[in-house]
Order: sequence, then C-alpha cells, then structure tokens
Amino acid sequence: MREGLRLMIDPDAETVRLAGAGDVRAAETLVRRHLPKMVGLARRMLNDGAEAEDVAQEVFLRVWREAPKWRPGAAKFETWMHRVAINLCYDRMRRRREKADPDAGMEMADPAPLAGEVWLAQQRAAAVNAALAALPERQRAALALVHFQEMTNIAAAEALEISVEALESLLARGRRAMRAALADVAQDLIDDADGASRG
Amino acid sequence: MDRARFEHLLDAYGADFRRWPANERVPAEAFMRENAQVLAPLLDTAGALDAKLDLARSSPSPSAGLISRIVAAAPRARAAPRRTNYAPAGWALAACTLLGVLIGYSGGALAAPSADQDDYFAAAFEAPPTMIDTGDPG
Repeated sequence: MREGLRLMIDPDAETVRLAGAGDVRAAETLVRRHLPKMVGLARRMLNDGAEAEDVAQEVFLRVWREAPKWRPGAAKFETWMHRVAINLCYDRMRRRREKADPDAGMEMADPAPLAGEVWLAQQRAAAVNAALAALPERQRAALALVHFQEMTNIAAAEALEISVEALESLLARGRRAMRAALADVAQDLIDDADGASRG
Repeated sequence: MDRARFEHLLDAYGADFRRWPANERVPAEAFMRENAQVLAPLLDTAGALDAKLDLARSSPSPSAGLISRIVAAAPRARAAPRRTNYAPAGWALAACTLLGVLIGYSGGALAAPSADQDDYFAAAFEAPPTMIDTGDPG
C-alpha cells in the first residue's frame, strides 16, 4: 500500500546546505531540531541513555561529513538521519551479542528516592522500555519509528529499507508481543502502587 | 475498506488514526462509524496498548554539553583568502598593449620600404668602384 502522489519538499534542505557550507548557526538549528529525536530513538533501541547520546553524536558527525555534498533526493534528510541512527544501533546491538554482556540494555529507573507519582511513572516507563528491549530488533525499530517518532509508514519503511507491507508485519508482531509483555507488568506496578499507598 | 483490512491496519498502527496511512484514514473512519458496535472492543484493546506504550514516551532532553560538542564538530566556513587588487596592473597592461598596437600599426605604415631604400640595401652589397683591386699599382 503506497500513498499516491507525494510532495518531496524537504524542510531541512536549505539548512543542511548552509550547515555544509560552514554556517554554524544553521548547524546549531539542525542539532536543536533533530538531536532530541535521535537520542530518543537510540534510547528506545538500546535502552541505555549514555549509549544513546553516543549514537546521536555519531549520527551528527556523519551529518557534518555528508552535509557539504548533500543533494535532496529520494529520501528526506530526516529519514536518512533515522536510517543512520538505526544502523548504528544495530551495530551496537550486534557488538553486545558478540560480547554476550547480560547487563547491556537493561537500564533501570533512577534508584534515588522520589515522590510516589514520579517513582511510579519511572517504574512504568522502565517496564515499557524493558519490554521494548526484549523485542527482536527489527520489530523494536518499527515500533520506535512509527509509534514514538511518529513517522509516516512510508518514511519509516524507507528508514528501515523495507517495504510498507514488511513494516506493517513487523509492527503487528511487535505490538502483539508488547501486549503480552505488558499485560502483567503494568498491572503489577499498579498493584504495587496501590499497596504502597495503603501501607 | 472491509473488516479484514481494518483489523490488519489496527494491528499494525494502533487505535490512533493519525498513525494510519494517509490514504486509509478517511475510509477507516467511515467504516468505523458504520460498524461502531462491532469494532469498538477492538479499538479499545488497541487503544489500551497505545496508552501503555505512551508511558515510555517521555525521554530526557539531551544535555547542553552534548549539544555543544556536536555543534563544535560542525564544519566551519574557511576565511576567504585576501583578495589582491589586480585592477590597476590590468589597466596598465591593456593600455600598453593598445599603445603598442597603435604604434605598430601607424609606424609600420610609415616604415614601409620605399623604392629608395631598396636601392640603398642593394647598394650596400655592392663594393664601391674605388675599392676594386685591379692589380694596377698605379
């Protein structure tokens, strides 16, 4: 299923051109516009804040290398950035597997004492992130791009270099797995919170 | 849009039609209105999962240090080289060239060999009669 006519107006094209020509203000605009998305994506893929920042920085180093020769083409600049970020995350996940590091990607909620609601929100987020981290990486990437990054189906498929049909299959399987994983976890947390407030 | 297609898209994109493919949203909403009673439980289930996923939506903002490091690595425009002003030298060269052409043109016409000059050059290669050694002492 493809959207029919698509306008390829890239809102970043001019800023990228200026940044590539050495305009620092344009470079900073690009960073402020896209860095939070890159960190967020890498964080969902890797479930590790420090690694996510490393990946985001590496994405921008590639942007600086490519910007002087960037020509608007088939994919938007932002889609290309997502593709780079996803591939860097895949590389890191592969290295983790090779090292067989059991603690990698198991980021926990901040252990510092927090107010009940804040603590609960952190625990819930950690539970969802842990469930995401347990998904096969391609399903995780599909969910991260469509649900959290709110990319269109076509842009997400381009970022993953797959067809829209394949993207929908990954999304459906990922959502099914998340529903099963979160059915218990989320309820446990709610029960814990209720128990704590009664105690 | 039929029920199978609706369920396929619901499974993939969840209950928020804004995430659905742009060309499927209007038909899906119409199908939903026509079959609200049957589809409501499916939408509720999908919506509940969306809500759980959204528990992890917030993400810490990138640190100021990270922003600075990345911007510091951005390409910088090179200072433009000092431009030497070649204009006066150029004008002088052009003026010299023009003057040379004009002089050559006019001078060439004046210096065109005349019949007299031909005679002069011809005479230069003839020994004067007084210098002919006749062998006669005198």
